[in-house]
Amino acid sequence: MFVHVGGSVSPLLLGLIIFLMEMLSSFVSILVGYYALKGYKASSAKELLFLYLGFIILGVGIFLRAITAAYFVLIMRTADVVPSSLAGLSNLAGLVFTLTQLVAYGLFMATYVFQAKGLSQQSIELGGIAAAAIFPVARLFYIPTLEILATTMLGFVAVSSLLNWLQRRTLNSALVFLGFGFMFFSHILFLFMIFDEALLFFGQIAQLVGFICLLLMLAKVNKTHA
Amino acid sequence: MPSEHKEYRSKTRIYADILDSFLKHGGKSGPTHILLGANLSHDRLMKHLNQLIELGLVSEEADNNEKIFKLTDKGRAFIIEFVKVEKFAEAFGITI
Repeated sequence: MFVHVGGSVSPLLLGLIIFLMEMLSSFVSILVGYYALKGYKASSAKELLFLYLGFIILGVGIFLRAITAAYFVLIMRTADVVPSSLAGLSNLAGLVFTLTQLVAYGLFMATYVFQAKGLSQQSIELGGIAAAAIFPVARLFYIPTLEILATTMLGFVAVSSLLNWLQRRTLNSALVFLGFGFMFFSHILFLFMIFDEALLFFGQIAQLVGFICLLLMLAKVNKTHA
Repeated sequence: MPSEHKEYRSKTRIYADILDSFLKHGGKSGPTHILLGANLSHDRLMKHLNQLIELGLVSEEADNNEKIFKLTDKGRAFIIEFVKVEKFAEAFGITI
């Protein structure tokens, strides 16, 4: 769809792979959010409410980005000339997605900040499509200024989850750290996409690996017996 | 007298501790074992047990003029779910 990773993989197949990775990431995010909601209902811990809202907003944002990107690619493949309005629309969609991401990361930060307070009180390339057409779709994934902000926020969350793992030394906390860590790494890759568009693809892989770590954590939690 | 740091326990946490104590005693016990397991005074335990009975998580039986409390299926399901939620929250550094 957007990146040239290897000569043997067709751009359309690559696009489909990225679309499926985005859909899977979205599904896992919503699943984690749902589990956090269950936890909030059972315990009334507001950190779980932040976690629930954060993962739901992030999951819905990724889902909408995947659908929008697929829609734009379909338009660009069918139209001989890329509509000029598409760039503006792409910028708007990218901004909306990035803002949902920032809200989600802000909520994750709030989860760790509130928890810390509590503790202290107690103790691309498009084959066959003009190269200029890459930009509108790429804008869905990358707005430089906001990307730096998102990376910083997620960096804080990743470090907080690392500290939690160092304190608890459990497999579940390690999986959460790896989850946020890989999501953070994906943002680093998105940040350097300006030098090599292939980093979008690898960023997507890192994001998916992060969500798979969270999925493994959920599976392990569900196997827990009283 | 040295001041002891008392950790705050939410109501749900206290319920979970009581129900967990039942599980450790095979799902059926008198108040004495439960108050030791849940770290509660007798008065507070009885107050919470009455609430758990109202919620259908615990049932009360009489055995040789002694009050015996029994974990219901609903209570068992609650504690299993609570332990999962606790593990999930802990993975994110949240203590409930």
